[in-house]
Amino acid sequence: MIRRCRPLLGTFVEIAAPPGCAAAVEAGFAAVSQVHRLMSFHGEDSDLARLRHAPAGAPVVLASETMTVLRLALALHRESAGLFDIAVGARLVRAGFLPLPAGIELAACTGSSAELELRDDCRAVCHRPMLLDLGGIAKGFAVDRALAAMRAAGAEGGLINAGGDMRAFGEHAFDVDIRSARGHVERRWSLRDQALASSDNAASRRRRWGRTVTPHIGFGRPLRNRRVVTVVAPDCATADALTKVAMADAPLAARMLRGRGGFLLSPAMEQARAA
Amino acid sequence: MNRSLAWRVALGVSTAIFGSSSGHAVTYMTAAEARATLVPDAQAFVDRSATLSADQRTAIRRASGTSARGPKVSVWEARGTGGRLLGWVYVDQVLGKHEYITYAVALDARGAVTGIEILDYRETYGDEIRNPRWRAQFRGKALGAELKLDRDIRNISGATLSCRHVTDGVKRLLATHALLFGRA
Repeated sequence: MIRRCRPLLGTFVEIAAPPGCAAAVEAGFAAVSQVHRLMSFHGEDSDLARLRHAPAGAPVVLASETMTVLRLALALHRESAGLFDIAVGARLVRAGFLPLPAGIELAACTGSSAELELRDDCRAVCHRPMLLDLGGIAKGFAVDRALAAMRAAGAEGGLINAGGDMRAFGEHAFDVDIRSARGHVERRWSLRDQALASSDNAASRRRRWGRTVTPHIGFGRPLRNRRVVTVVAPDCATADALTKVAMADAPLAARMLRGRGGFLLSPAMEQARAA
Repeated sequence: MNRSLAWRVALGVSTAIFGSSSGHAVTYMTAAEARATLVPDAQAFVDRSATLSADQRTAIRRASGTSARGPKVSVWEARGTGGRLLGWVYVDQVLGKHEYITYAVALDARGAVTGIEILDYRETYGDEIRNPRWRAQFRGKALGAELKLDRDIRNISGATLSCRHVTDGVKRLLATHALLFGRA
């Protein structure tokens, strides 16, 4: 196996592929870099930056990759009755998880995903000012794009792991250790032709106004889950996004996953699913 | 690379030695492999490694906001056909809160970053890194023995780690490069 690792998406992205597939590994990293460039909250030349600087109501032409992520994010927003909301950027800035972008008036950023319209295949409109952050979904999407690029470059199998959000393809089964933030292996899973994502917010909670907040879960939502949540799904964007839903509302995440060919893996979540 | 995202993390290898406990390590490539990967057109690499003076280290810290771990700088000049300067490759280490990472950065002839590769990664918790027995378990693997996937290496999901230390390290190397070679 070839195994390579590069710092991308704010984390370490690791790609493994059979010997002789070096070009496919390069193609995988190129796809991840492209998603990084388009969807970084921090970059001032990203699609997200162009959306936040456009006047409310003005259509913005976006890359097809960005449109695909926004389409999935809006579907998940509707299905989760607003729990999964990529317009969470302003809250994340207030809570100290993200820096305030230059030229943005935070108080004006009051829009939710409900006010984001995808007009056609290449244009999106924010009907109210909002700060979009794709940190809850784009890492998984980047993994999916890398897989497609590797396949197109001739790789018949491999594994892409973007900071714990991963997807395997081909005949080979990859053993995955699922750990808590404390470093203990909670369980193992044999990953074959599917995606897996875990979230554990133990390291990213903040106390704010006497309450605990964590990224990508609406402010005021109780943190029902205090352990790592793990989602298995056919694709990694879904797995990534549904860990955020599962963190706040495991039964809802389990229902949403059922229709998408996925499921929750953590024992606590399995109990919640059975309830 | 952009300083990016509050997105969270994991990677690497847990070792059977620890059973269900912490440490893991993985070697992706050697320094020589990294040089060849990062500057594929290079015909030769000339070792230009240097030792920084205390004043130089202070200047780099002021310019980049981060301190080097030691005075030694590992850097190679990449030479193409006819001895043409193609760029440089730096190999450096960063020690994060729980991880110890060796990485390589390639710069083109103008001093702009053209690529970054992680060479190896070791996870450490507190005092473990100073414990010789803990370190010894990685010794064979760091010497380039081929690691077999699924036997030596485990894929990990659920830990938390950001690449911020590497990003800070790259900034420090750019400041180092400007000082040593007057560009970037």
